Amino acid sequence: MTATPASSTPWPATTGRRPRRRGDDGPAAPHPDGSAGPVWARVLRGVAAAVGRRVAAAAAVMLGAATTAFIALHLLPGDPVAIILGPSTMASPEVRAQIRLDLGLDRPLIMQYLHYLGQLLQGDLGESYQLQQPVSRLIGDQLRPTVELALAAIVVAVVLAVASAVATAGRRPGLRALANLWELVAVSTPSFWLGILLLTAFSFRIELFPVAGADGFSALVLPALTLGLPVAGILGQVLREGLETALEQPFVTTARARGLSQTAVRLRHALRHATVPLVTLSGWLTGTLLGGAVLVEKVFARPGIGALTLQAVSSRDMPVVMGVVLLSALVFVVISTAVDLLYLAIDPRLRAEDKGRGPQHDQEPQHDQEPQREQNHEEPAPDMKKAGVKGAGT
Amino acid sequence: MRLAKPVRLAFAAATAATLVLTSCGSDSGSDSDAGTSGAASGKPKAGGSLTYALDVEPTCFDLQVNQQGITGDIERGVVDSLVAVDAKGEFHPWLATSWEVAADLKTYTFKLREGVTFTDGTPFDAAVVKANFDRIVDKKTKSQYAATLLGPYTGADVIDAHTVKVNFAKPFAPFLQATSTPNLGFYSTRSLSRRPDELCAGGSAIVGTGPFVFSSYTKGQNVVLTKNPKYNWAPQQAAHTGAAYLDKVTFRFLTEDTVRVGAVTSGQADVATSIPPSDIKTVEADKGLKIRKVEDPGGAYNVFLNTAHGPLADQRVRRAIQLGADVDQAVKTVYFGQYARAWSPLTPATPSYDKTLTNAIAFDPTAAGKLLDEAGWTGRDGQGYRTKDGKRLTLDWPWNPPHTREQREVVAQAIQADLKKIGVEVTRPALDIGAYVSLALNGKYDLYDFSWTRFEPDLLRGFFNSASLPATGGQNAANLRDPQVDTWTEAGAATLDRAKRDDVYGKVQHKVVVDDAVVLPIYVPTKLVAVATDVSGLTVDPNGKPLLFDAWRS
Repeated sequence: MTATPASSTPWPATTGRRPRRRGDDGPAAPHPDGSAGPVWARVLRGVAAAVGRRVAAAAAVMLGAATTAFIALHLLPGDPVAIILGPSTMASPEVRAQIRLDLGLDRPLIMQYLHYLGQLLQGDLGESYQLQQPVSRLIGDQLRPTVELALAAIVVAVVLAVASAVATAGRRPGLRALANLWELVAVSTPSFWLGILLLTAFSFRIELFPVAGADGFSALVLPALTLGLPVAGILGQVLREGLETALEQPFVTTARARGLSQTAVRLRHALRHATVPLVTLSGWLTGTLLGGAVLVEKVFARPGIGALTLQAVSSRDMPVVMGVVLLSALVFVVISTAVDLLYLAIDPRLRAEDKGRGPQHDQEPQHDQEPQREQNHEEPAPDMKKAGVKGAGT
Repeated sequence: MRLAKPVRLAFAAATAATLVLTSCGSDSGSDSDAGTSGAASGKPKAGGSLTYALDVEPTCFDLQVNQQGITGDIERGVVDSLVAVDAKGEFHPWLATSWEVAADLKTYTFKLREGVTFTDGTPFDAAVVKANFDRIVDKKTKSQYAATLLGPYTGADVIDAHTVKVNFAKPFAPFLQATSTPNLGFYSTRSLSRRPDELCAGGSAIVGTGPFVFSSYTKGQNVVLTKNPKYNWAPQQAAHTGAAYLDKVTFRFLTEDTVRVGAVTSGQADVATSIPPSDIKTVEADKGLKIRKVEDPGGAYNVFLNTAHGPLADQRVRRAIQLGADVDQAVKTVYFGQYARAWSPLTPATPSYDKTLTNAIAFDPTAAGKLLDEAGWTGRDGQGYRTKDGKRLTLDWPWNPPHTREQREVVAQAIQADLKKIGVEVTRPALDIGAYVSLALNGKYDLYDFSWTRFEPDLLRGFFNSASLPATGGQNAANLRDPQVDTWTEAGAATLDRAKRDDVYGKVQHKVVVDDAVVLPIYVPTKLVAVATDVSGLTVDPNGKPLLFDAWRS
């Protein structure tokens, strides 16, 4: 019989942003023997309430994002029609008038706003001023390459970070310093420059990868590296910090005493502890990937949301900018929901709380750790606070 | 999984064979002659494909709506025009076999070529010509450029299936040149009935009669053109008849200079446009590439001096600005000697260009200083700038960074430094696009710069006629109101007589540069195109559009 980390450790670090416990505002957690009523009905009601709250919050976030973006775009100086036509144009006054009329720019601002919201409620994001295409189609078409790029970059970042941290945490100082160095260099290199360096090396000199585009796997390698490397640098740093803290805990000695190898302890026990701060960084990560996509897509001439955003912002293509703002808001809402669920997967104690403590009561060590765990939740370790701040700040 | 092919090795052998015969290139300034193929080595052969790297991606592919030159570059191979123009400005039959111009220049009657079909199978006839022109001027089309090419168009009459008469409200001489541009090329009736957003999105919605078919467009990536096998109506100046040689042309959008240059030097693109002058040495050193240098026709990169605002209302101050900046040196340094200094608001490749202006406003800081003294700017403030009645001689030259190309901001810095030496302060407020475009309307600037490509001296009417003031949406950034210039530019637009046009447009150029001193021409916009040595027959028409029809791979 092997004790799981959850049942045998004092949990040196806990999450800064713990998911809400359903028991707090829903019906009381079902009793282990189910005598208080049909369990599934309560669970269902609880889930429904939680989902309802999430959806309402998401809608509020989206409305706020749309309104802020709308106001900000209209506070900027300049006549929208003149901006659409650009600085040197031969368009006649009649053409200008027609554009103004067609885009509804002749109406008062408040009417334009209400009209936009009305359209939005019907799922219509409007039509691009510059590209004269429906915004939903533009975003739909450009979403796939960006998602591919972002996922590939995450894979690159996580693999590199885990490898670097697991291999070097708490090891020889020289090794550590080396890992630290590459991580700092990766974090500090502007991705624009990194992209051009990679292209020069692996596309122009050694013709290993195509220069640009979005067809096929080989075209994804260099952009994913460019976007993923700086992220790997940050993740590696945070992960090593977490690993080293975990490795100092007594449970490591216990595990080693049971005959586990150094690496096995790192991978199976310590890593799990160190993962929690990583998840907390996901908000920052999402922002980095969305923002980084703008540069990476430009350098590598890839289609995608980043390229679309750049084009829309520089020509002040309002409907597209609004569409991208709404998309980003949605992505953040979805990611933060996913993160909350992820905490449950990583940290079994949260699951235990959620389900009520019944099923785990037979585990002795769990009982013993209970008071200490509660305390930990209320006072996150200092390093976690730091990570939490970082996540919110970007 | 598709890896980039190591093309370089493949054509190393071909290079040896063709190099001797392809010595054209960097030293040729007059490559623009339609029909003179750059590398006429061996016998042209059909087949193969070409990857063409561009620096700009169009926002819309509808030639009748969009004003971007790049749209015309891409679709020149997709649409044909009524007439073709040669480097001397002479017109030749294309889709029109002959034409008659009424003495008053108000009607043009075209006899159309028979047997021409669009690539969707529908015939090209008089009704299609009328439908295209009518759509361009339709208010709902919101044409940003093509409509200005049609000028005072009032309508077209279909005389018979292959005769069409185009009518104008006023004498309109620039029309023949206008019909030679891709923007007045023809889409099929089916294309015209598509929704505006479908045409803007390019691809198969765009159907022309040209040697290539617009197969697909992937946003952010490329445009693919494929051969139109039935094509048999190339203009006379083309080197061959029948269908195009190339099976496929892929335009790739590589907006980053380094990436575009890298793509062509590594053989991943066969042609790359807008090679930065600083990279010319690298490209020239590459045995697999040659540089084609083509000066654009139309307006040079000009700085206009606003006569309706501040100190530049005084002609002597304007003249001092023209003489006080060492433009030659600035252009030579910033562009590594690749771009020529401009002396006229028109470029040398434009018909009716006035050669006599060369050195008319050569650098002369002493004369500039004297002029400023005469104008009463005799005081000096603590920073060494000239003052008059306690007010510093300051000129505003606003700019919008995202729309500033070709390191023009560096040229501006050089001019700024030169003018400081004669006691003139030039400020460069960097404006957001919205504030920048409002400038034209409120006139709150002293200097305003832009270039404009078109193979037609009638541009001068837009630049300097008092009916074209920026407040009404025109391009007369100097706010010049000179009755003589008005008369001459209007006379030029009302005649097709070469000698008369040369005369009036020559007078306009001289007047605005020397007497009115409202423009400081800087450099001649020049296309620096890198072309792989195994690509032959690729030419550029006098309108500055690439002609793919005669291009072939060896």
